[in-house]
Amino acid sequence: MKSKRLLIVAGVICLALILAMLPITSACTPKEKTLKIGITTPSSGPAAEKGSPMGHANLDAIEYINTELGGVAGYPIEVVWLDNAYDAAKVVTNVKKFMDDGCLMFGTSSSKMMSASMEIANRAEFPGLVCFNAPVLHRPPQHIYGQMPDYGDDWSAFAKYYMENIWKGPGKPKMAMHLLNNTTGYGALDASKAAADELGIEIITPEEHSTDTISEMESLTRIRAQNPDVLYISSTPAPTAVIIKNAVELGLYPEIPIGLGHASITKALVDIAGADIVEGVYGVFPTVSWGDDVPGMAKVIEYCQKLHPKDEGNMDYITSWAQSLIMAEILRVAMENVGYDVLAKGDVESWRAIETQGIQKLKDYDVGGLHGPVSYTAGDNRLSKSVRIFQIKNGEIAPITDWIEAPVVKYEEFDWFGQ
Amino acid sequence: MSLPSGTRNYTYAQDMAILRTKTHWALFIGFLALLFTAPLYLGNYWLGVANLIGITLIAALGLNILTGYCGQLSIGHAGFIAVGAYTAAVLTNRLELPFLVGLICAGFNAGLIGLIFGLPSVRVKGFYLAITTIAAQFIIIWVINHWSVTGGFVGIKVPYAAIGGFVFRSEASQFYLILSIAALCTFFAKNLMRTRVGRAFIAIRDNDLAAQVMGINLLYYKLLAFFIGCFMAGIAGALLAHWIGFLNAEQFSLTESILYIGMIIIGGLGTTVGPIFGVVFIRLLQQILTVEIVPFLEENIALPAGFATGVTPMLFGLVIVLFLILEPRGLAHRWTLFKSAYRLWPFSY
Repeated sequence: MKSKRLLIVAGVICLALILAMLPITSACTPKEKTLKIGITTPSSGPAAEKGSPMGHANLDAIEYINTELGGVAGYPIEVVWLDNAYDAAKVVTNVKKFMDDGCLMFGTSSSKMMSASMEIANRAEFPGLVCFNAPVLHRPPQHIYGQMPDYGDDWSAFAKYYMENIWKGPGKPKMAMHLLNNTTGYGALDASKAAADELGIEIITPEEHSTDTISEMESLTRIRAQNPDVLYISSTPAPTAVIIKNAVELGLYPEIPIGLGHASITKALVDIAGADIVEGVYGVFPTVSWGDDVPGMAKVIEYCQKLHPKDEGNMDYITSWAQSLIMAEILRVAMENVGYDVLAKGDVESWRAIETQGIQKLKDYDVGGLHGPVSYTAGDNRLSKSVRIFQIKNGEIAPITDWIEAPVVKYEEFDWFGQ
Repeated sequence: MSLPSGTRNYTYAQDMAILRTKTHWALFIGFLALLFTAPLYLGNYWLGVANLIGITLIAALGLNILTGYCGQLSIGHAGFIAVGAYTAAVLTNRLELPFLVGLICAGFNAGLIGLIFGLPSVRVKGFYLAITTIAAQFIIIWVINHWSVTGGFVGIKVPYAAIGGFVFRSEASQFYLILSIAALCTFFAKNLMRTRVGRAFIAIRDNDLAAQVMGINLLYYKLLAFFIGCFMAGIAGALLAHWIGFLNAEQFSLTESILYIGMIIIGGLGTTVGPIFGVVFIRLLQQILTVEIVPFLEENIALPAGFATGVTPMLFGLVIVLFLILEPRGLAHRWTLFKSAYRLWPFSY
């Protein structure tokens, strides 16, 4: 009994001492001068098949920048990385932590996570960079920037390609759309509302699905009844695989072509659905494919093989690697324009400097050829504006077009936007 | 009520008092002082976590009244929170009504929707009722996604909360707003259970047939429990909307609804302190796993790719399972045992 009490007292004293010493130890540690950024990815949860390799790529790229390039202008980049588990409440507190920790900007990979946190960032003027981008995130433009074109641009690029290269019939082709029930899916619908008439495409009643869908036979049967000429899917790999499998079972595919938005078409889709099922499917993607002969690819492959070999071949890895490179470039440009002292504060003044003297000064930054050039254009918060059309051939995702520039669409000028 | 040795009740007021002794008062005032000075020593991040805890607590208190006290299992609580959130968003954004009007309407609207989905409780109970409330979750979210007023899949912006010209912009000011409302809701929940209504709820939970025989109107009290539980969910939703600033139906998933059930079970069903413990425990566990443990593992330990991020759901699930096995009556019971041990110390009986 006595020894138990002694043990408890000793434990409490130890705990108190540790707590008391914490501030002293942190104060004694000499602080290295760094440039701090925040990155949050859905590395666990329902979108982990995309979020996990993307998180790895973000951190691997920063490792490359710090070890081989000597950081940014001699200052290493310090990353505050947090998993958000694809959970809105978590991402909100994550972004608050980034602001609290003095991060200069933050990056997210998914449009859903950015939509949950964007208002907090916009209110605080804290600049954010999102990989997978939806119109709602940057229309009207505020403090959130899209690394790549948005889901609406994917639709426009695919629709244009379809009309010019695939559609041979008379009159208007009928396009069916299967959309994820969030900004990923409905970003594509927004673009179709804005441009379908102009392109001469008839959109039939869109169907929607959730991330955890296990069968879309019912919705595809409804689609089939309307005799579409083409099916467009804007979703993530797992539900896309379900839809394509079901389309094959119903004989809908390969009878009609299928086009995918950039969140759908990745190695994970081929792995989940099987190469034979998705053979011939078209897709839009804003980066090069794995192993392409571009200057930046060698380091991507080297670091991926060294640190996360399981992610090899995943195009999402390329996307997030490029995101980290762009963030580093933004820091470099801002450093050049305002100097370290302004950025060292990590407050509103620094955030404004990052935005006005970093992001908005980007001009034709070449991300090692991993995706289109990165530039800021006034009134358009998409930094890279180019996509390419891909097709799955023998299990490989191969490009079939050159870069296609996606023009800016001012969605906020349409009455239906946000309704 | 168990009181420290030597404490006697001589009046009805003394008998009814929540805080009975000087120690109670001292601890209570100390706790309030600690809470209200929190913005002085907490950064925005931890204040944000505190705000999330406060909002979650209000909703969990409502669910505890409905499920813990009245025994009506609801697995659609996130749906009712969504009703409140969107009501506040639409009223303050589209109609530009004041925050307080939005807040009250959010509570009433969620309460009314709760009444509709509570009607089956008259005929069904237990797992069957749980299924009807799951339907509420899906129907509400579907309506939100497909109704133009709510912004559909694109979502809707929500302005800062403002009262009489004062705009709650900073995290600290939002903390005081949320804390005050959470305190009021806790006080309300505590006192509700000491009234005829509360006793009727408990009677229905323990044996609804016996309660009916005693003259308790089951329809009235069950629906009242649904209304109060969902009203509080609506208030929580409105605060969440103004705190986040942007709503999307994905923020109110079935997983969230199940998490709320987990919170009140871990805290202790049918107690007022239970939801407080449950909410604080779950929300802090989420944050500590996300912010401290996973990044630490990723950075310092060579684990297989993807292992560290899998640790969060694994540990989270493990903690909940262990809790249900080792302390099924929740943290509130552990708190009661601690208080008894403190009062009896140094004697063990």
